[in-house]
Amino acid sequence: MTAPALDEVYGYVQERCLWQFSSRAWDRTENIDGVLGTLADLLTNTPVNPSSPTERLFLADARVLADQLRERFPDLGSLDAAGVRALLESLRERVTQVAITQSRNHELHEKAY
Amino acid sequence: MPMVLLRCDKDIPEREKHIYLKAPDDDPKDFLPLANSPTIPGTLSERGCAFCGAKLVIGGVLKDTIQMIHGPIGCAYDTWHTKRYPSDNGNLQIKYVWSTDMKEPDIVFGGEKKLEKAMHEAFDEMPHLKRMILYTTCPTALIGDDVKAVTKRVMEARPDVDIFTVECPGFAGVSQSKGHHVLNIGWVNEKVGTIEPEITSEYTMNFIGDYNIQGDTFLLQQYWDALGIQVIAHFTGNANYDDLRGMHRAKLNVVNCARSAGYIANELKRKYGTPRLDIDSWGFNYTAEGIRKISTFFGIEEKGEALIASEYAKWKPKLDWYKARLKGAKMAIWTGGPRLWHWTKAVEDDLGVEVVAMSSKFGHEEDFEKVIARGREGTYYVNDPNELEFFEIINAIKPDVIFTGPRVGELVKKLHIPYVNGHGYHNGPYMGFEGFVNLARDMHNAVHNPLFNLARTDVRATPVVELKEAV
Amino acid sequence: MGCEIKPRVRVGVINPMYDCQPAGAQYAGIGIKDCIPLVHGGQGCCMFVRLLFAQHFKENFDIASSSLHEDAAVFGGRKRVEQAVQVMVQRYPNIRVIPIITTCSTEVIGDDIEGTITDINKWLTKGFPERKIHLIPVHTPSFQGSQVTGYNEFMTSTFKTIATKKTEPTGKLNVFPGWVNPGDVMLLKTYCQQMGVDATVFMDTENFDSPVLPDKSVESHGQTTVEDIENSSGAIGSIALARYEGAAAAEYLSQEHNVPCVVTPTPIGIKNTDELLKNIAELTGKPIPESLVRERGIALDALMDLAHMFFADKKVAIYGHPDLVIGLAEFCLELEMKPVLLLFGDDNSKPKKDKRIKALKERTDVDIEVVTNADLWELEKRVRDKTPEVDLILGHSKGRYIAIDANIPMVRVGFPTFDRAGLYRKPTIGYRGAMELGETIANALFTHMEYTKNKEWLLNVW
Repeated sequence: MTAPALDEVYGYVQERCLWQFSSRAWDRTENIDGVLGTLADLLTNTPVNPSSPTERLFLADARVLADQLRERFPDLGSLDAAGVRALLESLRERVTQVAITQSRNHELHEKAY
Repeated sequence: MPMVLLRCDKDIPEREKHIYLKAPDDDPKDFLPLANSPTIPGTLSERGCAFCGAKLVIGGVLKDTIQMIHGPIGCAYDTWHTKRYPSDNGNLQIKYVWSTDMKEPDIVFGGEKKLEKAMHEAFDEMPHLKRMILYTTCPTALIGDDVKAVTKRVMEARPDVDIFTVECPGFAGVSQSKGHHVLNIGWVNEKVGTIEPEITSEYTMNFIGDYNIQGDTFLLQQYWDALGIQVIAHFTGNANYDDLRGMHRAKLNVVNCARSAGYIANELKRKYGTPRLDIDSWGFNYTAEGIRKISTFFGIEEKGEALIASEYAKWKPKLDWYKARLKGAKMAIWTGGPRLWHWTKAVEDDLGVEVVAMSSKFGHEEDFEKVIARGREGTYYVNDPNELEFFEIINAIKPDVIFTGPRVGELVKKLHIPYVNGHGYHNGPYMGFEGFVNLARDMHNAVHNPLFNLARTDVRATPVVELKEAV
Repeated sequence: MGCEIKPRVRVGVINPMYDCQPAGAQYAGIGIKDCIPLVHGGQGCCMFVRLLFAQHFKENFDIASSSLHEDAAVFGGRKRVEQAVQVMVQRYPNIRVIPIITTCSTEVIGDDIEGTITDINKWLTKGFPERKIHLIPVHTPSFQGSQVTGYNEFMTSTFKTIATKKTEPTGKLNVFPGWVNPGDVMLLKTYCQQMGVDATVFMDTENFDSPVLPDKSVESHGQTTVEDIENSSGAIGSIALARYEGAAAAEYLSQEHNVPCVVTPTPIGIKNTDELLKNIAELTGKPIPESLVRERGIALDALMDLAHMFFADKKVAIYGHPDLVIGLAEFCLELEMKPVLLLFGDDNSKPKKDKRIKALKERTDVDIEVVTNADLWELEKRVRDKTPEVDLILGHSKGRYIAIDANIPMVRVGFPTFDRAGLYRKPTIGYRGAMELGETIANALFTHMEYTKNKEWLLNVW
């Protein structure tokens, strides 16, 4: 058993998840950190107890993604909690890089609409 | 060279920045078509104007609202009878349009008096209507009529009416997109929070970016009813003006068509802390995912799963029947913007259809980020396309069906390619489970239309067919 | 009896009857071959008009926009026009005519179109010496007139720009049909052919009904060539079928190049078609042939079965372009119907002084109400309140809900007629047009009798 490669997981997330592509950088950052943070908890069986509407939103997005990733990458189960968190941290960096820091989208930092 | 300069564009080389041909192993950071940028004049671009973006697409959907257009007659005439958004109260929004019918003296001496009179008249002629959206147009913006002042006077004279002004002349921005934004942001700033909606459920949401095309809103409403969720505002399908004033009370903003709807959700998030959930409401897979997320948010997962299961049981066999007959069909999507990324994967996963070319009239770079992430390799992604580019791309990719508007549909018919109305649908609704079966059916009936095979035949070249004797 | 003419009194419009001037100019412009009209204004001014034409004809027509954005709206749009023309000339190697159609915004800004054209012509001559591109200034601010005057303005500007020289006599007849359908153009060509008259129809829109062909060629464009327009000055005469749609171009040819000009009553109905043929015969010296006498007879034969049996005394409301409305009202009288309500949709003051309206009054014992500068709300209120009561509505598709909601039979005629299939192919003018329109009216009434179960048994024997 080998752990799924970052490229594959990233490829799936990139294709599947709208929350990384919100209209502005601040919104993208919030979503990426929030959803992937909750996803890490879900995939490491850490209890998630959302207390705010925003946390409930991250849970909604993360739970669907967790189920999809488990189904698509059964080898995720071979990773221990630290391994999962490391993978997801790399994923977070990649998503942030593509969707925010290196994005060619001119409007990410515009204040007005 | 994934950015492409088409042969027909050799004299306008800047078009290379707008056309992307996705290649294997392209790094998504490296290529993004330029979007929401000025149109090159004389190209036969497909774009409309900011005014129509506000009136025709968004404001004009409201079912209880006078649409007063402050300008010459054409702006009203042209944004009337071109959309397929019914309502459940007699289709006022389809039947009527209002104009101040600006004439030369009004342009020379100012149109405010005429506007004020026309607004009063409109309320007098249809006394049951108490809500109005007022739009400026190119000339009334250029002469600087103070429409907000006029609106204030009319509202003071008529305490029971409410009026919203949208200042979005046709020359603003580069496409209809600007008008969506002006209306949306203006609404959030001026009208949201001015009324307290009646709350009937502990689960409340706004559904933003669905304009009830052929009854999309009606169809999705069945799901929300089944889940016990109160939709405070449909923005703007089948909506009343006052519904949209109570958006601040929803616990969740669900965003579908996120071109401009996303901005509303962002502003509501900033002002009221309401979370924004983006979903796709076309396609089986996507609709199920959207329902799952909404149900999880409200903690009603079981209800959500039950709904998905019963809808799958009802519609999936029908979808699969079409999938078997559509598999491998090549589709082009030439629409406004968001439908590109909503549809490309949905038709691929649910129907086995390959989307080989997509073009967006008014999408922003955000839309291209989404669609390139989801779309296939070897597919064209075009911003602000023009007619010669259509011809060249069709020649290159030879699609079996094109989802686009009726006018372009008439053009591609001559090239023996059937179209399905990608804006107003052929026989919708297309959203949700049942809707996607409708889409599949319309695509199937287009792709297998026998007349197109006959069109491809030259009667002179056909070998003589044996005459069948009547038995 | 009386004929009351009054204007709409409200300042605002609810449901307009006509589009604005640039739309009319575009309609005329697509009638020219190797021509792409350039609309100088916001993108919507061209995009929605293209959609409107597509709705009516089920065809795509090429029209370009100067895509006026904010900077140009503030600082002037001259550069946008120059760039547009350059792009069009480069990318469309066969293009020969580019009409530059102004809109409200570019007229308010005050762009100097004539000056711009002079400048463009200089670099066109230098850059494309082998090509002759005709740039036509068409001033159609949307805050004047309507699509009707816009059509007329385009026709006048075009002939003034291209038909500048008196050519050798061509022996041909110029026919200005006005804003008509391909079916009408086909009919006019057939009539002239039968009379042995070599006619040029301005604009020749026959191909607005164009085929799907094995070689995928796209033929949905006008057929009137630059040469046709140039040679119009050498014609033996001009005949205009619509007073307010193109007659001004015929009059220009008469004043400038001494081409005799006749404005014939819009040939809707038998008598008006008689006038058309007589006028053609007089202008050309060619006799009216037996074949048209027979076609007239067929039409009369068909209409006689309907008039005093079904049509007589039916009260009709008619709206649309003035020439069309007047022609239809005259036709109604031939059929013994009562045109009780006529609506014109712009502030052009000429139609209300039209002699044909006075003549209508003299020909009938019916009270006729004429509303000028009307919107469709004027019609809707009258239909709803039965002031007057009407049995039939004749007009274009934009008024469809008035008929649907009031449950009154309606026959689509004019422009646009997007809610009925194939109407653009059928003539409204000529004997055949009279027959087909009469029969369409009859069938609409019959269907209504059946749906409302109103003496539908009459139709068992008639």
